[in-house]
Amino acid sequence: MNAFFIIVIIFLLFNIALGLYRVWRGPTVADRLLTTQLFGTTGIAILIVLAGYLKELTLLNVAVTFNVLAVLLVICLVQVWKKKKGEAQ
Amino acid sequence: MSVLIDIILAILAIYLALQSLLAPRLSQSVFLFFAFGLALALAWIRLGAVDVAITEAAIAAGFLGALFLDALRDFSVSDTEKQENTKADQSLVSAKNTNSPWLPRLALGLGLGLFLLISLEAVWEIPSGGGLTELAEAMLPASGVEHPVTAVLLNYRAYDTWLEIGVILMGLLAIFAVGGRELYRKPVMAVQDPLLRQVILFFTPVLFLFGAFLLYVGKTGPGGAFQAAVLWGAIGILLHLGGWPVFAVIPRWLRQLLLTAGLGFFLLLGFLFIAGGNALFEYPPAYAGFLILIVETLAAISIAAALTAIFANLNQMKETPNETETTT
Amino acid sequence: MTITELITVILLVVGCFFFLAGTLGVLRFPDLFSRLHALTKADNLGLGFIAAGIALHIASPWSALKIFFIWLFTLLASSTSCYLIAKFQREQHKPQNGKEQE
Repeated sequence: MNAFFIIVIIFLLFNIALGLYRVWRGPTVADRLLTTQLFGTTGIAILIVLAGYLKELTLLNVAVTFNVLAVLLVICLVQVWKKKKGEAQ
Repeated sequence: MSVLIDIILAILAIYLALQSLLAPRLSQSVFLFFAFGLALALAWIRLGAVDVAITEAAIAAGFLGALFLDALRDFSVSDTEKQENTKADQSLVSAKNTNSPWLPRLALGLGLGLFLLISLEAVWEIPSGGGLTELAEAMLPASGVEHPVTAVLLNYRAYDTWLEIGVILMGLLAIFAVGGRELYRKPVMAVQDPLLRQVILFFTPVLFLFGAFLLYVGKTGPGGAFQAAVLWGAIGILLHLGGWPVFAVIPRWLRQLLLTAGLGFFLLLGFLFIAGGNALFEYPPAYAGFLILIVETLAAISIAAALTAIFANLNQMKETPNETETTT
Repeated sequence: MTITELITVILLVVGCFFFLAGTLGVLRFPDLFSRLHALTKADNLGLGFIAAGIALHIASPWSALKIFFIWLFTLLASSTSCYLIAKFQREQHKPQNGKEQE
């Protein structure tokens, strides 16, 4: 069972490594921001699996931290970059 | 078998650290740095430091991400005139680089090599030395909290933590010194998009509650003032982005009080202990837990206010020149 | 292997499949809007399966509730950010004729 959890974690890490390609390619900032959502979701999945594997429930707090802050970057992009074009309202 | 995870994490973290420095585009660097923060948080968990992992997650995913995106907008060159400028700058820099003598490079390389050796040696020393873990665990009943990390931060080494709170305030003061402190008074219109409005209004209480939870749980497990402060600071940033600059609207004395409450109360407590015949920051064991909770709460409020002010100020500083050309 | 472990394994494998689908979508799809579609749907479904599997494995009501809330918040944040990014992209490219590089 433990070996299975480790395989799952490695698979998810592999997913993150694949997603890095999109950071390289872009082409727009929004595309790159998309990868942070991918990393966030995958990271939360890794943390949940790790919590199950190590039986350490405090890891869930780290997952919630990622979770509640994930939307901040998107709102930051949308609001800050919109003002550049003078379309604040 | 779980060594495999550690190896992959180590490779990923080092690769991302290098790439976020060497990436040709600034926006690549910023988002690679975000991925680096994630890899680092996972690495801290594998090392058994959940406290640091929460801090890393909160700062890398939240605060630094917002700051970097804001800075990225500033650097993103939409008009060609700016682009030419940077190109000229770059060619200037590269010309300088090719002509630079080999001596500074050699000195830099040697210095960095020496630094690397010293840090490797420092890492090597930890397992053989044994550290202070046993001592910290033994004194835990007298410290007022049940989690050794919180005990070290708020009791044994309270002086260091006090200075750390001061460092964040100093950062804010530096920004004030460069940009002026009145800039973010400018009223911003609230967002019109109903969905954006609702998501900001939904996540504000969630962030507050989870921050309070982390603050309280710091007494018995991973969590504490700094983690809570970043989450509460994120509330300020969210509200600022949503067009409710709460921090700029409140009266000035309240702002000053919020910013300095943590630092001031901590210091006042220290002097009271001296007056009572103890050392600086030597809590009486009977009240230690209660006092630590108050100090942590005030420190979290102060740090959150400072982080909000830093973001609000940096965000507005670049807006003023843009505003004049775009208001038509 | 008990029946609970079997269900956990199945749930995790299904979750991993959806994660792979989401990542491949982000890598292979031609434009931002289809990438958004791939990421915000497939990944959240994968997270849901993984969360359910681990909640079954940990088998404590308090952490199961926490995991459920993690999934709920992720759904909320993800669908909202999908909408926001798509709207942002459309507004960025409407007045501008050139490509918004960097």
